[in-house]
Amino acid sequence: MKIYERLNKIDRRIIYAILFVVVTLPLIFPSVLKVTPMTPVENLFTAVDKTTDDKALILDCSYAPQIKAEVEPMAIAVLRHAFKTRKKILVLSLYVEMIGLATRALNQVVEEFNSVAETYEDSIIYGRDYVFLGWQPPPIVPMLGMGESISNIYVVDYYGNQTDTLLMMQRIRNYNDISILVALSGSRIPISWVSYAQNRYGLQVGVGCTAVSGADFYPYYQTGQFTGLMVGMKGAAEYEELVEANHGVKGRRVASEAMLSLTYAHLIIMLFIVIGNIGFFLHRRKK
Amino acid sequence: MNISTDPWVWIASILSIAILSFLYKENPFFRAAEHIFLGVANGYLVTFYWHRILMPILFRPLFQQGDLLLIVPFIVGMLYLTRFIPRVSWLVRIPIAIYMGYWTGVLIPATIQAQIIKQVQGTILTAPNFQSWNAGTSGIAWSVIVFIGVLCTLSYFYFSREHKGVIGFTSRIGIVFVMIGFGAAFGYTVMARISLLIGKLQYLLGDWLGIIK
Repeated sequence: MKIYERLNKIDRRIIYAILFVVVTLPLIFPSVLKVTPMTPVENLFTAVDKTTDDKALILDCSYAPQIKAEVEPMAIAVLRHAFKTRKKILVLSLYVEMIGLATRALNQVVEEFNSVAETYEDSIIYGRDYVFLGWQPPPIVPMLGMGESISNIYVVDYYGNQTDTLLMMQRIRNYNDISILVALSGSRIPISWVSYAQNRYGLQVGVGCTAVSGADFYPYYQTGQFTGLMVGMKGAAEYEELVEANHGVKGRRVASEAMLSLTYAHLIIMLFIVIGNIGFFLHRRKK
Repeated sequence: MNISTDPWVWIASILSIAILSFLYKENPFFRAAEHIFLGVANGYLVTFYWHRILMPILFRPLFQQGDLLLIVPFIVGMLYLTRFIPRVSWLVRIPIAIYMGYWTGVLIPATIQAQIIKQVQGTILTAPNFQSWNAGTSGIAWSVIVFIGVLCTLSYFYFSREHKGVIGFTSRIGIVFVMIGFGAAFGYTVMARISLLIGKLQYLLGDWLGIIK
């Protein structure tokens, strides 16, 4: 068999095996890969950072298990940022199957902070520092309804407490009291937030999305409809970098740990694309 | 190495490997895992919708607390089931019409504003758009590229005239922009898929086998 024929007939399982090794080794033998935050991520970070004491931010954790690897690190990074800088935060999910992952991220970060807190003031307290609103179907109801009254839409929170009795909710009534909404999603939910909540109530929307959605979402960032944008695992790693560099928040940085694997995997795929094309052109020339 | 003793981690890991085994070839382990996933996902959703929507929002208020206004959505919702009775199956049109009417009213103005007017504004060559690139004076160049790209791409999708002359020229430029867009989307898709593989390997090597901390 000629070389160009071999190049065109590489067994896909060999490619998978090489990719598996290339991705796995940097995870087992990690080394630091410096991540440089890009402007869209910096803008999101700055918008969250600028949340004043009289306002809160909303974190919409509408990501499903199949995209957890990309989006959960974003949720954890934003929560760490909010808790470290004592921003009030409301957490919600627009779909029921995502509630479990939102609870998981929230519990993990609250536990991280409370395990090192020495006083009640240092601790992250439910109702004072954060509220988990849970899930209210269908998505358009909270999107529009929270512009009038958050407590009317989420009468009870995820844990069954009357929302308007919670300390934090005495001052947080509707979108006027919200600095920014950060929508973490693998679907077009962020665009729905823009279409309904931003158009009608002027809510600032920041986004964390999967890499697949990135190309679709950049036009909304360019027009200013998205205040900031984190795309894929790399976006999450950039936000992790900003949170650690600016606020000294220590903790496992899952997305940053994956950057070396991601880089090597991209290089190997680029190599395969080049090899495949060389094989294709050689084959065509021989014909 | 610190292997997990949590049975749920073991179940999740074994099922993950069963699914990944499809990369080698189709096999009974993959099919079993696929069927388990479908069954569990459907069961989870049905149970959750029953306990978190139908019971607290409809049945309990209507039948236990006497909120009679809810009889209207209850009847409208039940009309969906008339599809199974051929003699009255036409009644299904009522909930479908209500649903379509509602969503058309809600979607059209919001979509036009957010996805057409604002996006067109972002294409126009104005000072705020130049600044939106955060690139100093080269923001003008980026805005001009977007402006040309949008017009040329639109001309490529203009099929009412043959692509000759000016339209032929602009549509050829348009296809270059379209291809660059596809390339960007493909690149991002590769990144997304590799990220998911990394996430799964982090789980298998970390949470399950304890090889990575």
